[in-house]
Amino acid sequence: MIYVLKIYIPPTSSISPTVARIERATARAREMTTIRRFCCDDLLRFSSVNLDHLTETFNMSFYMTYLARWPDYFHVAEAPGNRVMGYIMGKVEGQGESWHGHVTAVTVAPEFRRQQLAKKLMNLLEDISDKIDKAYFVDLFVRASNTPAIKMYEKLEYVIYRRVLRYYSGEEDGLDMRKALSRDVEKKSIIPLKRPVTPDELEYD
Amino acid sequence: MASKFGMAGGIPERRVRPVWDAIDSRQFKNALKLSTTLLSKYPNSSYALALKALILERMGKLEEALSVCINAKELLYKNDLILIDDLTLSTLQIVFQRLDHLDMATSCYEYACGKFPNNLELMMGLFNCYVREYSFVKQQQIAIKMYKIAGEERFLLWAVCSIQLQVFCGNGGEKLLQLAEGLLKKHIASHSLHEPEALSVYISLLEQQAKYGDATEVLSGNLGSLIMIEVDKLRIQGRLLARAGDYGGAADIFQKVLTLCPDDWECFLHYLGCLLEDDCIFPSGTNTTPSNSIHVSTSIDCNLSDDVFDSRISRASEFVEKLKAEAGSDSIRNPDLANLEIERRKIIFGKGSYDKLMEDIILFFSRFGHLACFSADVAVFLQVLPGDKKNQLLEKLAKRIASSATSSKNVLGQHITLFKIRELIGDMFPLPEGDLVGFAVQMTEMYCQNLPLSKDLDVQESMFGEEFLSMTCNVLVQLFWRTKHIGYLLEAIMVLELGLTVRRYVWQYKILLLHLYSYWNALPLAYERYKSLDVKNILLETVSHHILPQMLTSPLLVDTSDLLKGYSRFMDEHFKESADLTFLAYRHRNYSKVIEFVQFKERLQRSSQYLTAKIEGSILNLKRNANSIEQAESVLKSLNFGSDFLDVSNEIQSKKLTFNEDLQLRPWWTPSYDKNYLSGPYESMSNYPRETLRNDVKEMESKVTRTIEKRSLLPRMIHLSIQCASSSVKVNSNSDINGFDSKASSELKSLLESYAKFLQLPFHDAVELVTSVASGQKPLEVFSPNLIDWMNFAVCLNAWNLNSNGITIPMNWELLCSLLQQSVSSKIKTAKPLVSFPGTDLSILVQLVMEPLTWHGLIIQSCVRSALPSGKKKKKGGGGGTSDQSNTQLSSSIKNSIVSLNNTIDEVSKSLKEQINKSVDGDIDILLSSINCVDGGPGPGKVVRILEKLVSSVDDLEVGERICHAVKPWKAADVARKMVTAQGTALTDFLNVCDSKIKVLQGLKLQI
Repeated sequence: MIYVLKIYIPPTSSISPTVARIERATARAREMTTIRRFCCDDLLRFSSVNLDHLTETFNMSFYMTYLARWPDYFHVAEAPGNRVMGYIMGKVEGQGESWHGHVTAVTVAPEFRRQQLAKKLMNLLEDISDKIDKAYFVDLFVRASNTPAIKMYEKLEYVIYRRVLRYYSGEEDGLDMRKALSRDVEKKSIIPLKRPVTPDELEYD
Repeated sequence: MASKFGMAGGIPERRVRPVWDAIDSRQFKNALKLSTTLLSKYPNSSYALALKALILERMGKLEEALSVCINAKELLYKNDLILIDDLTLSTLQIVFQRLDHLDMATSCYEYACGKFPNNLELMMGLFNCYVREYSFVKQQQIAIKMYKIAGEERFLLWAVCSIQLQVFCGNGGEKLLQLAEGLLKKHIASHSLHEPEALSVYISLLEQQAKYGDATEVLSGNLGSLIMIEVDKLRIQGRLLARAGDYGGAADIFQKVLTLCPDDWECFLHYLGCLLEDDCIFPSGTNTTPSNSIHVSTSIDCNLSDDVFDSRISRASEFVEKLKAEAGSDSIRNPDLANLEIERRKIIFGKGSYDKLMEDIILFFSRFGHLACFSADVAVFLQVLPGDKKNQLLEKLAKRIASSATSSKNVLGQHITLFKIRELIGDMFPLPEGDLVGFAVQMTEMYCQNLPLSKDLDVQESMFGEEFLSMTCNVLVQLFWRTKHIGYLLEAIMVLELGLTVRRYVWQYKILLLHLYSYWNALPLAYERYKSLDVKNILLETVSHHILPQMLTSPLLVDTSDLLKGYSRFMDEHFKESADLTFLAYRHRNYSKVIEFVQFKERLQRSSQYLTAKIEGSILNLKRNANSIEQAESVLKSLNFGSDFLDVSNEIQSKKLTFNEDLQLRPWWTPSYDKNYLSGPYESMSNYPRETLRNDVKEMESKVTRTIEKRSLLPRMIHLSIQCASSSVKVNSNSDINGFDSKASSELKSLLESYAKFLQLPFHDAVELVTSVASGQKPLEVFSPNLIDWMNFAVCLNAWNLNSNGITIPMNWELLCSLLQQSVSSKIKTAKPLVSFPGTDLSILVQLVMEPLTWHGLIIQSCVRSALPSGKKKKKGGGGGTSDQSNTQLSSSIKNSIVSLNNTIDEVSKSLKEQINKSVDGDIDILLSSINCVDGGPGPGKVVRILEKLVSSVDDLEVGERICHAVKPWKAADVARKMVTAQGTALTDFLNVCDSKIKVLQGLKLQI
């Protein structure tokens, strides 16, 4: 029998994943930074990132569940002087050909925006999904109205796989965007669905 | 024995399902009914009972739940034939845990494991129980047992983690690590290792014992292949070599990493540190978590000879050049910054050139100066430049901007950077007032002029030039500090308010505003700004320091209480769930997280802010209930009569408190623990005050610790004072001395002695000081800055003196009343109108009323209650009781005290009314006239003029419809009105507190 821990994890629809403030096409400078695994102490240092109104501050069990289960999918970027620049959190889940990496949140502090840091963090997560966990694709959800973010994801080769009706708090539609990884040779995982789905049709939270 | 298919706790699942469904849909009444039916069919089922307990607990019937749970437990023990399955146990466990009886849950599992040895499922449950109890030794024992039974790698690692926890979080000696190493070695010899996390535990274990060579060997052997990312492996290798003192080897490894990841700044620092044999870079010691703060070396005692230093530096330079060449046109910042670091190290060694460093900075600036993070990136390099060089650098940077041919957005970015560097260097402090005003004007103008750049941005996106307004605010505050002209302060507020009107999401403005409003006694507005920051969850620990200290000394009791409750709830919830999350890490074999989680929980438990919230929350609760002695006593009872806090006070020095507040976001001019720049005289600073602040942190931390230590005594002192006072009256009337009273009296005396120590005097000297001030022989000023502490001391001293077992001191009701009255009067006399005098310390007066006067009121209430014959306590003004025999003995001094206290509070009340009744429009006029400078003349007003010009001339074609609509209705007068109103609200809240106290005192007067 598997233990069921009574840990509250908010349903994905109530959180706003994939926040991503976006970089400009013109920005060429790459950030000089150290990217390493996120650890608990970073929770005490990320306030300048999280005070931004688009970045949700989750409850502790949410962060810690991610740390306990998918530590390789939770990374922080640091600038000189140990300033937290941004972080990415995600997970890997699914069965068979839907075994995939998922981006739960990616965010960059205002002072470090427009330097392609989000891209770097995304690439890291894709790399781990691809090379270590041998996943078929990476997916993420984004508000249908968040045009700049959608554009950025498209530039990172994500395609809109399907629309999820009223995904965000029962109000706004979400877009499920995907990028195929090397294991999905025929790129089957990203063939767009013809019709939108409702949140209860989603396979995973 | 385990649950059979279709069975739940020995009962067919179909019978249980309706109960589950009812619980899931939160229909607890129905669930209870169904469970009663179930129990009638299965009266001997522990599981059925456990379910009932679960339902009762959810319904809030805690005692009943506990007793049912205990029944279930007993049934489990009694029925030898009954199966014990994990479902029953885990259900019981959940209820016991929610009822705070972890020990009972553990004993259930212990019993089950004893009865069915070798059952892994039950053993894991027991292991989990020990994790919840933080019993590391027992964790280790049961994990070893499981390992012996199943031979699985994970159970061995569970045991190893438990051992590490004993060493780092328990009281296990480091020798235990050897045991863990031995266990792992044996296992590896026969089974090898299969999980990357297992390998990192093994390496950390060796590292903790300083066996760096062994660790390197393991890493380069077969096991090393478990780490799949090459650079990760190299980084560990480099660290191990450096720690072993093989700097050359380590430098080679880090060079490899840099070739693969040229952007990795931390790695570059490690590389350079190793080349220069700087052992600060990897502090040795048994640190379990990877060090996440890179040490910035500032030491000058580098042990290398000149020649070696030169050759190492040139090796580094060559390597950086190579990196640069390889990066080609794809601009990577690291190599540029690396050059700066190399030059900085040379300067520290005495071989560098300031000019070269400046040249490099300017070069770096021309490539990346437009980035928002630039100034912070170069801060460490600016520090090594002498003052005149810093100024030269500023000039050169300004020239560079003037000659730069880049896009307008980049030029804007460069301008912002220049001002930020100016702030960083602190070169503005010696400048004349006019120049500072010039900067403020220039920055505000640049903000306004560049609004069109943000025309097409979404409201959610950061705008171009937002930082200008924060920096303008800081300059204006500095001007205020220097000139004491309130117009500058008002302008600082206006600038930020306008900024928020343009874009309401800028949290930097909100933080600045909340401090400005706090300083100006408009606390309700400050709190509003704080709330709009949406500080929640872990941010409560790191961000609430912005508002908490002001609120604790304010009359906004309800808001303060909400704030404290929200924070404590968050922390307590985390402490409750943390162990379950630790077990989750165990289950998912992320062993490094196990140790991290436990250490993090401990870190939060030792949080100074958490302790402060606990103690201040309790004191606040007392304050709020002090109008009725019965209510106050019930609060004290819930605090175990203050005894628990005495333990806190005693243990605090050994606890090593943690300070988790993120002070980076605090403006330099806000009051730190006991230093408020703006209240003091203006001092010209040679560097940015943040530097000085950093140095003060340690001192501040020890002061905070002492404050908590001191404040933790207070609830107990109040409780004992009430006891002493009441028994003194009883003694007088009944001449019945009971043993408890004398115990209370001597305990109070020893607490007063401890309290006096915090006031830095021996008890008798403290008594003498209090009495000599009270009798007018010494001025009240001798108490500052600890006036409140001294008054609290005096109040409790008087109470103790009422029943002091024959020891006499020259303290009495009259002296105390005179002391309280003096302190209040002096504060009222020096009080100034809030509007014209920002920084007026209203909080002292608030605290006087809320603390010593309130405690004294409680003591009086206690005396009056004891003096009245029982049965007549509640009667007000009834003629019968007053002639009672015992009442005649009630000392007339108590009566006089009531009158005196009443008058003292009345004096406060009157002065408040005077301020409240002033016309709001009059105050607004005072404010607005402060920024009404004559055009071109000196003084404040120029910045507001720019804002007003923007508002009147804003054009939607130019800045876009959204910005235009937002800005147009903005009025300076509205901002002033909001502030004056907020000041009035705070004063009214205070007045209400005073009035309620007066009412109580008048009631008491009628009773005797």
